Amino acid sequence: MFKLLEKLLMPAAEKLGKNKILIAIRDGFLISTPLLIVGSIFLLLANFPISGWEEFWTKILGEGWDMWFVNVSRATFGIIALLSCLGTGYAYAREIKGDKIQSAAVALVSFIILMPTCISFEGVKGSGTISALAFEYVGSNGIFLALIVSVVSVKIFNWAYEKGWTIKMPNGVPPAVADSFAALIPSSIVIGFFFLIRIGFEFTTFETAHKFIYTVLQMPLQGIGNTLGAQMVYSTFGSLFWFFGINGPAVTNTIFGPIMKVLTIENLEAFQAGLPLPNIFTGPFSDFFTCYGGGGSTLSLVIVMMLFCKSKRITQLGKLSIVPGIFGINEPIIFGLPIVLNPVLIVPFIVVPSVNLILSTFATNLGIIPYTTGVALPWTTPIGFSGYLATGSLVAGLWQIGLLILGCFIYYPFIKMLDKKYLKDEEEATNSESEIEDISFEDLSAEDF
Amino acid sequence: MKVLMIFDQIQSGQGGKENPNLPLGGKTMAIGSASMLGPILKKLGGVVVACLYCGDGYFKNNKEEVKFKITAMVKKINPDVVICGPAFNYAGYAEMCAVLAHEINEKTDIPAIAGMSKENERTILDHKDLIDIVVMPKKGGIGLTESLENICTLAKKIVDGEDTSEYAKQICY
Repeated sequence: MFKLLEKLLMPAAEKLGKNKILIAIRDGFLISTPLLIVGSIFLLLANFPISGWEEFWTKILGEGWDMWFVNVSRATFGIIALLSCLGTGYAYAREIKGDKIQSAAVALVSFIILMPTCISFEGVKGSGTISALAFEYVGSNGIFLALIVSVVSVKIFNWAYEKGWTIKMPNGVPPAVADSFAALIPSSIVIGFFFLIRIGFEFTTFETAHKFIYTVLQMPLQGIGNTLGAQMVYSTFGSLFWFFGINGPAVTNTIFGPIMKVLTIENLEAFQAGLPLPNIFTGPFSDFFTCYGGGGSTLSLVIVMMLFCKSKRITQLGKLSIVPGIFGINEPIIFGLPIVLNPVLIVPFIVVPSVNLILSTFATNLGIIPYTTGVALPWTTPIGFSGYLATGSLVAGLWQIGLLILGCFIYYPFIKMLDKKYLKDEEEATNSESEIEDISFEDLSAEDF
Repeated sequence: MKVLMIFDQIQSGQGGKENPNLPLGGKTMAIGSASMLGPILKKLGGVVVACLYCGDGYFKNNKEEVKFKITAMVKKINPDVVICGPAFNYAGYAEMCAVLAHEINEKTDIPAIAGMSKENERTILDHKDLIDIVVMPKKGGIGLTESLENICTLAKKIVDGEDTSEYAKQICY
């Protein structure tokens, strides 16, 4: 069966893993990740999930103190589409071996060309317009358009470059100056292209490219991504790939990454505005309510290995893996136990995160745990804290502990099977007179050398 | 075919990156990543008879001692072939694999081969003309099963005394 699966999965993994556009989108998001975490810390400080927090600080700092912090969060996740555009442009240029910084800049300009820059408003003296970029266009609503524009503009830019449509400066001109002249014609082609696209959209009922992409692409994809079914696919494939030694999430995120990012930021924007949170399946939900201790939720496995197994190999690896496991790192388990190519453990490795996902979804729907606020936390945040900080509810932290224990029960019979086998191996080795189980380098004698 | 494998701390199931100073040790059975090769070796009539291990940091700081003792231990256990790896893209482990495979080939009659991913450019460049280094995916990369089959098949061909030059050209750096 695994042979057949491998035959089916490998080409897909290979295609997704090698696609330059998907790699660029995945890596492009990475530049925003640390900024989102820092922005989230500021947002958390303004809205710390303790009752009386806001009143306490208002007494000390005065009204409006929270706006100091909100300004920082707006400057990070409020402009996520701009960051994605820049990051993807840079990463795509890197993939196709083009001029990275110039490409990123061209992508950003192209994206802004498509945006309304004249915004009408109703004031006390009547209606008027103001020259501005609305956060509406540079936040989560604009992510998909930003990704498309970024890839298209970089593609055109580098195509013109490769065609040799550049202004060549004589020898002796400093490289920075020569580069900026070289970028002149390719940039003007890209800008001209998006200029026409913008005009084109003004003649349609959508009026802007933003509305078009948001309606025909982003909304439907978000809708699909925000379902338990899609999340099950994401989780199952993420685990299944590991059986074949492939970093599953790295593959599945090429598709799900942008969708999850949008769902997360939408919650964050709603949280900031004090509105009801719209989405269950955010990045933090996936990070903190499906897997504990890394892919496959192996923290449960490590606990069982440490407490209930008898073979030396398994208990020792359990003890060594518990601290990294608490911080979400399970490399020693993946390769050392191993999980890779291990048909026994792949079963709970897939089942435990799926069970966590299903139960957490129901718990959220039933109101047992709140929706995640979208606050970005490092994925290494330990269990208990992560649930609390991601939702603002202590119950969510306890819920995580409950799932961790349930995971132990599911992993137990499977790891015990392996434990029994290893124990037998170890006993046989100890009983055999000719061989000793442990090889000691102290036993080497002169004739061995 | 009796196979001996050489691992770092991660592949031997003795911890993670935080445990680089794991001193030399071993077991007379398949441990850690060796179980990935088990079914493939079985088909080829092979079995892992022992696994030796050493933290990549320990190797870095005690190169001569590790080379000396591992070679002596390999001689003592006397397998038909030694497989060093798979080292994926772990730089320290990849270097250990290459250096030890070369040392074993030089100092004993037992053949040794290594496996690592292309990210270990420097190590590959320095050793590819000295030993057979089988192409492997990086950690989490595509093509692990195939590369494990390749390394086992190469080991088998060497043990059987076949001319491996053509085959090595296809699967090695």
